[in-house]
Amino acid sequence: MIELIYLTILLPLLGFVINGFFGKKIGNEKVIGLIGSSTVGISFVISLLALIETINLPVEQRTNVVELFTWMSVGSLNISFSYLVDQLSLVMALIVTGVGFLIHVYSIGYMHGDKGFYRFFAYMNLFIFAMMNLVLGDNFVVLFLGWEGVGLCSYLLIGYYYDQKFEKGTVAQAAKKAFIVNRIGDFGFLLGMFLIFETFNSLNFLEVFSQAKHLTGAESTFGFIALFLFIGATGKSAQIPLFVWLPDAMAGPTPVSALIHAATMVTAGVYMVARASIIFASAPVILAVVAVIGLLTAVFAATIGLVQTDIKKVLAYSTVSQLGYMFLAAGVGAFSAAIFHVMTHAFFKALLFLGAGSVIHSMHHQQDIMHYGGLKKYMPVTFLTFIIAAFAISGFPGLSGFFSKDEILWFSYANGNFVYWLLGALTAVLTAFYMFRLVSLTFFGEERFSHDKYHPHESPKVMTIPLIILAVLSVIGGWIGIPEVFSGEHGNVFHNWLAPIFLDAELKLAYYGAHSHTEELILMAISVSAALFSMYGAFKIYTQRREIAEKFALKFKKAYMVLLNKYYVDEFYEATVIQPIQKSSEKFLWKIADNKLIDGIVNGTAVVITSFSSVIKKMQTGVAQVYALIMMTGIAAILFWIILSL
Amino acid sequence: MINEILNSITFIYPELAVSIFLLIIVLVDLVFHKDKKYIPYISLAGLVITGILVLNQIGITHFAFVPQLSAVKKYGMMTIDPFGSYFKLLVVVTSILIIFFTIASEEVIDLKERLGEFHALIYGMILGMLVMISASDLILIYLSLELLSLSSYVLAGFLKLRERSSEASLKYVIYGSVSSGLMLFGISIIYGLTGSTNLYVINSLIQGPQINLFTLSFSSILMFVGIGYKISAAPFHFWTPDVYEGAPISITAYLSVASKAAGFALLIRFIQTGFTSFISEDGYWTLIAVFDWQALLIAISILTMTLGNFSALWQDNLKRMLAYSSIAHAGYILLGIAVLSNQGLIAVLIYFFVYMLMNIGAFYVVMLISNKTGSENIDDYDGLGAKAPFLGVALAIFLISLTGLPPTAGFIAKLYLFIALIDANMIVVAIIALLNTVVSLYYYVRVLKHMYLTKSEREQENITPSIGSLVYLLVLLIPILFFGIYFTPIVEFARSCVSLLGI
Amino acid sequence: MNTIPMEYYLLISAFMFSVGVTGVLIRRNAIVVFMCIELMLNSANLALVTFSSFLGDPAGQVFVFFVMTVAAAEAAVGLAIIIAIFRNKLTVNIDEINIFKW
Repeated sequence: MIELIYLTILLPLLGFVINGFFGKKIGNEKVIGLIGSSTVGISFVISLLALIETINLPVEQRTNVVELFTWMSVGSLNISFSYLVDQLSLVMALIVTGVGFLIHVYSIGYMHGDKGFYRFFAYMNLFIFAMMNLVLGDNFVVLFLGWEGVGLCSYLLIGYYYDQKFEKGTVAQAAKKAFIVNRIGDFGFLLGMFLIFETFNSLNFLEVFSQAKHLTGAESTFGFIALFLFIGATGKSAQIPLFVWLPDAMAGPTPVSALIHAATMVTAGVYMVARASIIFASAPVILAVVAVIGLLTAVFAATIGLVQTDIKKVLAYSTVSQLGYMFLAAGVGAFSAAIFHVMTHAFFKALLFLGAGSVIHSMHHQQDIMHYGGLKKYMPVTFLTFIIAAFAISGFPGLSGFFSKDEILWFSYANGNFVYWLLGALTAVLTAFYMFRLVSLTFFGEERFSHDKYHPHESPKVMTIPLIILAVLSVIGGWIGIPEVFSGEHGNVFHNWLAPIFLDAELKLAYYGAHSHTEELILMAISVSAALFSMYGAFKIYTQRREIAEKFALKFKKAYMVLLNKYYVDEFYEATVIQPIQKSSEKFLWKIADNKLIDGIVNGTAVVITSFSSVIKKMQTGVAQVYALIMMTGIAAILFWIILSL
Repeated sequence: MINEILNSITFIYPELAVSIFLLIIVLVDLVFHKDKKYIPYISLAGLVITGILVLNQIGITHFAFVPQLSAVKKYGMMTIDPFGSYFKLLVVVTSILIIFFTIASEEVIDLKERLGEFHALIYGMILGMLVMISASDLILIYLSLELLSLSSYVLAGFLKLRERSSEASLKYVIYGSVSSGLMLFGISIIYGLTGSTNLYVINSLIQGPQINLFTLSFSSILMFVGIGYKISAAPFHFWTPDVYEGAPISITAYLSVASKAAGFALLIRFIQTGFTSFISEDGYWTLIAVFDWQALLIAISILTMTLGNFSALWQDNLKRMLAYSSIAHAGYILLGIAVLSNQGLIAVLIYFFVYMLMNIGAFYVVMLISNKTGSENIDDYDGLGAKAPFLGVALAIFLISLTGLPPTAGFIAKLYLFIALIDANMIVVAIIALLNTVVSLYYYVRVLKHMYLTKSEREQENITPSIGSLVYLLVLLIPILFFGIYFTPIVEFARSCVSLLGI
Repeated sequence: MNTIPMEYYLLISAFMFSVGVTGVLIRRNAIVVFMCIELMLNSANLALVTFSSFLGDPAGQVFVFFVMTVAAAEAAVGLAIIIAIFRNKLTVNIDEINIFKW
């Protein structure tokens, strides 16, 4: 099945072609939905079989390259369309196709009756196609193609309701914002790629990484490469300073938010950093930058999440915050912990979004949690699954989020320092708080909506079954990565599985700090009990004593307003970047540079060219003898030149 | 002697097949003079057979017709090598495309009872081109060139009732005869200097010290004139716009691709076997010090592309515009030869393949539209994008490819050309060529502007191409787009066909 | 036979060639232009025969036969085209045949 891995990429493409070109003719939602989700489903099965086959191989043979064809070979640049099937890419492929499949199925119910049904599924399939290229590509170029492809799909899907309003602007503006901010990151990524080619004369992963392993002393080169790549990652994975697009990306349909802006695409940056772990490990300074940026993003986004009232906005900031966690893990050299969190996060965050989608679906696209309340009796399945996901993301012991988050926290202390751990634990507490604020306001308490207007009801089976599956995964998904403190020496299956990929990077980083299990257990106990307390507090406040929260907000009105307005980051960018660019574009670039300078040059050239051209045209007199004469003159001129040069 | 001839025949199967089918067409034309509609299919069959025979030859490297009596035995009159086979294949494929072209062209359909002659003359051209591509003897070069020219003179003036067609033909024949006269004079001088007409022998003789360099240069220039007129290199290109505009459009398309390809093959063979002393490890040719071939070729190619592009700027007749554009393309291709390296040669081979697809495609759309509107004037293209959506998109893709923009194959062709130039440190030349491309963008896009942005003043019915035309256009469009993205196959094929029979 | 030096033949050939080229460039009548082209071809023929004879190599003379054939064919095609154009325009003056220009 490893050799057939290209099918996992081609099938979604096929789905895109069928739905995109013939979807309008097919018209039948069932057929379109079936095509859209089955292509992804089959891809998932193939990936799963490839995984089983890989597991059965001895460890040193688990890296396989499936070459399709050589795309171009120009000079020393040799780029082929080939796919790298190894432990890391298989994990990512399974997340993408598995969660992707569930979300496709869910979408059949969620998008029911939408006029652009076929368009939605075509874009979703195209997204899976691009994302599979991203995670499976065996060189930076294929990765970059996928990288740009998912960016494009993200743009298309955010702007899916292109004719509607979104907050202060329009949906189209939100899509544009995502696209432009991503472009800034992509520019960094491109620079990184150029620098890699310059340094290693190759863009192939295996070649570059094996060279990087032996290359020592070129720390500044590695530093620049890593920095540029990380700038790319901050764009795609919504980290400071480029996180501003992700909350606006919620303008898209909710399944899109679940698939692209929570579970898969936004983790591409984490994947890329993990893939290039050896390069980052060779530049310890940049690695520290990664950790700090991740940590800051985590805390920063979590605080914003505390006060948001739009259900999807809360989840969006939560995503940004959790992505920060992953970068923190990567930054302290715990790459497999980062990927583990990518996986568990994909389960519970997709579940949260889909649950939110189910609520929004039944509440006629009302997204303000202040207008919810007491929904648990109307939609029991959604409630149950949602609360499981909330427990998971808050790190309730035994659930998937507990294991991955705890691992990150532990490594941030063991490989980093106490401040990392403290801020990380604080984020966990904040996360628990805003999640249970969300749960309480949505499902508990009095009903704050008018029954004339809203008739909450449970969603159809096609939507609830994916919720149930994801809920099961959110519970048991973490059990493959139980830390060694519980499972004994080498008991962490997930870590062992990925260990060969990150071996070189970890050797280079060489963290030999010896920490006892007792230390780990104490820290874990502190963070878990703090999170549990926070959950309980949030639940109490928002179900029974909401006036406390209101008083608190009044008392710290300034801080509250800052949070509510997301630290004014958008306004800050508007004032410092967008306005100056617009002003200077208008005043200088448009009125002077463009109108006068460029137009002048262009028009001037055109005038020169036109007059030159009319002179030349006159040579074509239409008389054959003149042609012959010019020919003879030409020959004479050539002969004259030859005589001179002889 | 007889053995050698019989043996050599095995190497000229394609040429023999063409000759036989030429006779068959003439005979069928005579016998069935009532019903001529089968003739295009006979000529198609002949071309398919020829194509198969050429395919069989790919990879073979051999001399044919080695003179047994003369002192120097080892060089033949014809050379079979991968390079030649590539161009022969190109010519045959172009011919097949053109036969389908004529089937849809009203000008040709109106010929009715003269269809047989038309196809016979096309076969005459094909035979001329095939021989010309592998000729390594001046006699054979001259004869094949004349065969090609004579057939094309008649074809250019084939619509004899049209004044324009006759005028095109007359200009062509005068210009062509003068240049071939000059070429013949040059040949006679080379023969006098070296005592041989074989390029390989000439090559070894002119390496000696006793050759008068000026006489040799003079005669080479005269030879170059004869070839330069065929490839319409400036300043020998003046016939091109007039003939292309006046000739039947199928013949225009044919001349602009096939006969130009054959001319380029001849030029490359002439320079490489006649004047190259050795080829270095990395593929650069060292020429015998006669005069500075490279400077001459660069100057002429820049002149050609500049004249072509600048003259094309304000042309209102699409056929004439495409004629000038084909001159400009000849300039680019000549630049590939001017690099004097195998890298440049690969670029030329790729360029010709792509050029065949996009140029025939552009002419085909122009033909379909003039079938309906009876005009090739750019004003009649106003609002075409709405009236004939498929034709509009197809023409747009062909023109974008002709400009050389990604993601079309035209971009790849230019890319490899520029890579070859930069590899040979000819940066300034590359920049001039690039600027020329920018100029060319103007007149190609002008057509698009008329199609999509200008509203038509007259009411016109929609133009819907027939199924056959649709398939034809798709056959040309798909490779243009496909090779624009995945171009390794043509590059590899061109690389494998780059070797000429060595000196 | 060999008493006349080679240069003499070649000079005549060059002279004929020059006359031919000049004629092509300055005569108006298309038929005369064709005659001048024939002159160019024949000057080349003369040179070929001369070289062939002085080099003692028959190839040149064989070539001349081919050239004569080609010249005949060219004249035939040329005249046919001139007739076609005369039917259309009632003139064979080259400078009046200029619909296509610029």
